[in-house]
Amino acid sequence: MSSRIPIVPESTEPLPGLGENTGLLSWVASIDHKQIGIMYLIGTLIYFVIGGLEALMIRTQLAKPGSELLSPEMYNQLFTMHGTTMIFFVVMPFLIGVGVYLVPLMIGARDMAFPRLNALSFWLFAFGGVLLYYSFFTQSGAPDVGWFAYAPLSEKPFSLNNGPTYWALGLLVSGIGSLISGLNNVVTILTMRTPGMTMRRLPLFVWMMLVTSFLLVFVIPIITSAFVMLLLDRLLGATFFTPAFGGSAILWQHFFWGFGHPEVYILVLPAFGIVSEVIPVFSRKPIYGYEFVAGSTVAIGLLSLGVWAHHMFAVGLGNVANAYFSLASMLIAIPTGIKVLNWVSTMWGGRINFAVPMLFATAFIIEFVVGGLSGVAIASVPIDWVVTDSYFIVAHFHYTIFGGSLFAIFAGVYYWFPKFTGRMMSETLGKWHFWLTVVGFNMTFFIQHFLGVMGMPRRTYTYHDMPYWGSMNLISTIGAFIIALSVLVFIWNIIVSLRKGEPAGDNPWKAWTLEWATTSPPPVYNFKLVPPVRGRRPLWDLAHPDSPDEPDAKIVTEGPNG
Amino acid sequence: MEALAGLTYYTIAISVVILGIIVIAVAYIIIRFRKKSGEEGEPYQDFGSLKLEITWTLIPVAIVAVLFLLTCSTMRAVDPPSADREPDIIIIGHQWWWEIVYPESGVITANEVHLPAGRQLLARLESIDVIHDFWVPELGRKIDLVPGHPNYMWIVAGEPGVYLGACAEFCGAQHANMRIRVIAQTEEEFSEWLTRQARIPETPSTGIAAEGAKIFQEIACMNCHTIAGTPAAARVGPSLTYLATRDTIGAGVLTNTPDNIAKWLKNPAKYKPGSLMPNMKLTDEQVNAIVAYLEALDE
Amino acid sequence: MANNRMMIKFFIASESIFFLMLILAYVNFHNSVTTGPTAKSSLDPYVTGIFSLFLLASSFTVWLAGKSLKNRNRSGLKLWLFATIVLGAVFIFGQAREWFGLFGRGITISSNVFGSTFFTLTGFHGFHVCVGLVMLSVLLGLTLAGDFKGPKSDAVECVSLYWHFVDGVWIVVFSVIYLWAFL
Repeated sequence: MSSRIPIVPESTEPLPGLGENTGLLSWVASIDHKQIGIMYLIGTLIYFVIGGLEALMIRTQLAKPGSELLSPEMYNQLFTMHGTTMIFFVVMPFLIGVGVYLVPLMIGARDMAFPRLNALSFWLFAFGGVLLYYSFFTQSGAPDVGWFAYAPLSEKPFSLNNGPTYWALGLLVSGIGSLISGLNNVVTILTMRTPGMTMRRLPLFVWMMLVTSFLLVFVIPIITSAFVMLLLDRLLGATFFTPAFGGSAILWQHFFWGFGHPEVYILVLPAFGIVSEVIPVFSRKPIYGYEFVAGSTVAIGLLSLGVWAHHMFAVGLGNVANAYFSLASMLIAIPTGIKVLNWVSTMWGGRINFAVPMLFATAFIIEFVVGGLSGVAIASVPIDWVVTDSYFIVAHFHYTIFGGSLFAIFAGVYYWFPKFTGRMMSETLGKWHFWLTVVGFNMTFFIQHFLGVMGMPRRTYTYHDMPYWGSMNLISTIGAFIIALSVLVFIWNIIVSLRKGEPAGDNPWKAWTLEWATTSPPPVYNFKLVPPVRGRRPLWDLAHPDSPDEPDAKIVTEGPNG
Repeated sequence: MEALAGLTYYTIAISVVILGIIVIAVAYIIIRFRKKSGEEGEPYQDFGSLKLEITWTLIPVAIVAVLFLLTCSTMRAVDPPSADREPDIIIIGHQWWWEIVYPESGVITANEVHLPAGRQLLARLESIDVIHDFWVPELGRKIDLVPGHPNYMWIVAGEPGVYLGACAEFCGAQHANMRIRVIAQTEEEFSEWLTRQARIPETPSTGIAAEGAKIFQEIACMNCHTIAGTPAAARVGPSLTYLATRDTIGAGVLTNTPDNIAKWLKNPAKYKPGSLMPNMKLTDEQVNAIVAYLEALDE
Repeated sequence: MANNRMMIKFFIASESIFFLMLILAYVNFHNSVTTGPTAKSSLDPYVTGIFSLFLLASSFTVWLAGKSLKNRNRSGLKLWLFATIVLGAVFIFGQAREWFGLFGRGITISSNVFGSTFFTLTGFHGFHVCVGLVMLSVLLGLTLAGDFKGPKSDAVECVSLYWHFVDGVWIVVFSVIYLWAFL
């Protein structure tokens, strides 16, 4: 075998990165994709804790009707920052970060196509967040106009403080970081694949990162232009979104959701990718219907560009526009459903090892289906007219972003932690984390569906004592504290496992993609030898030379791009 | 509303069935395909089935098609065209209260929509400042009040009674306390109410109420508020002409009693932090006089 | 390296979306100006049209620069890069002249939606031209210092692609702002 392993030519000089010097400078100055990936993960963990504390304060305030714990201004700042943080500084950078770490490994490359741009992306993300959070320490306080910053509320006449300016600037900066990351990923995936790694053999996580990256490239400029216009309005007196001076409030919504809806898929497609890697490995079967899982991702990516106005059914765009956006939104259910059924079919007939990553991946399927079904319901215009802007929507998108993305992220952390650190995470603590998360999450959010249908609007710092509202909100708040406990367990698990976790070895899960073919953690240069790629599961082919996935495949030594 | 209920039940039914199938399948998998001790080697490597993929693409296509057709028909039933006629009611959103105008009679009131029960009225919805959203859950759909983009909506309450609602689009500090009451009355009660509201009240000429009328005109009240038949005609804050006939003050933060009006006048921000009504630093005598004046207008 | 050329193409695609949004904002408000300046009342299509010809010509010269590189004609490369910079600078001078003329008549970004959309759109385009001029100057400096011996250079090709893009955007912007108002 070994004589047939092609040697991928490597540049002999190591890039600056994980060298002998492991001090702070070696991190700050690093352009190694693995170090940058780790920094992304640490950064998002910090923001996750901050965003979680904001959520706890929100839920504490809402635990009983008429609570006066927080002033309305403070509450509005908290829910704005919670949404903005969790979307732009937790889920999105986590997925970008884990992609930055894994994509080059999974395609057998030495690094990203543009390592320096990669570092730039990270630092733009980090400083964008700092800029946003700096607003807390200014006289005006943090932005308090919601993560969607609807004009004209976010405009000067109605927000005299600087909150929305910090918001737009911080997101502008980190958004450009994400855009650069998207460009970098696209070029890396299209040009840096190891010989034999054709597009049809690409790991599904990489496929989903590719589609996500295309979305980043095409939708970040939409919101960048909107931020620019908002800033010009606020700073130079332009009138884009101020109806009193001839501008249009609805134009902001079109621009915001033109980005905002694809953004939802940016948050969830890489999570689909994680699940598509975890489920086969722990079921000991290849992914069911690879082409359909990959193809449905492309379909979701394309459809996501044409559905933005389903966030605007109550705006009064007319029933023709509403009908179109309703249909387009419902169509997304089809490729999403294909994915779910393929994951379930992958598990069917397997020999499933329910370790913590698989527990989270399995729960992900159920929670995400709940969020997906409520999503189809609100794609139907008349239903949306009833429940939009109510707690039903809060429940819906937490089921997709928490029950979907975040559950998948937890699965990914438990799955790749051994690769990142060389040590296993504790299974016992992991199971505690898992069960507390499942209980806390469903307790917090499931009941909010009913609160919404009963008429509780979103984004209110207090509510009247309507029948059952108090006790239902209290249940939700208790759930939130259970989630908080689960996060403590998770962080404790990370700390303990970093110090005392069992050594992982190269491939503790007997997985099949290339990142498991090198040491844990991988060396600076990633691979001494990249194994031959003759199918979708190179390490399966190595371990089972008698029954390779593609028996007729030839060994290729030339890359797809020469 | 019936069409909406049908669509809702149908959607819930489909959702429950799909969720049920997935949950049962996953539960079965967990029991049946969990790795048991002593099992060695790898299971059968199954790469997929084109037939199955086509099946579970086509079935959702059919479901979506049905759901979409239902959506369109329900949308038409719930939101019929406004037929290019003048609205019966104009609802104007302000931070953070509702101005209600009956164009035919010229009545302007606040935070309460009076309706004849069972009659369908056409409402036009506007906003003076930021985006608001009119939502009375028991009456069905909600609709945005967008500055520079008037919307129309049919509004009907089947039975006489009070229907509670609130602003549903985040509109700033006191979004939570922007509540609305729809009061459905019999035709007679409604026309009686309308006639009464349209009457121009007499300014009290004696006693403490007259004192209040004087204070009202002298200090800044009239910069923001209207009282029909007096020079006070501003529409920045709610019309106070028949404040005494309303159920609440501050768009739902306090029940409307003379005591509460007095409390509110002394410090609006205590009950509605962020409210655009300033604390006028009134003395107790001034407050009592103004309250007496406002109550007297309804006599 | 194919990487660099692919990168610049995707970057240009992304930038196109950015400009598309600015153009859509302009189009959205084109008919909604009720008071204050409009394109018709405040712009001069002839003068700007003439300055636009300089930018169009610069696209041609940058193509000649690339051709010279391919033929290892270093003096040609220098000449055509220099010509491109001059032509681009003349265009920017024309833009500045127009802007200050408008300012002099009290027309600014805060006048009305026309002012907002017009200055934002032409401003961002002008900014991109300036960035292009900086990059072209760097290329010229490197050429004078002895770089770019040909026949290939990613740097020259990428900057040239970017310059064509900036030029193409202007054709659209000019059509939307000037031709739409005056034709």
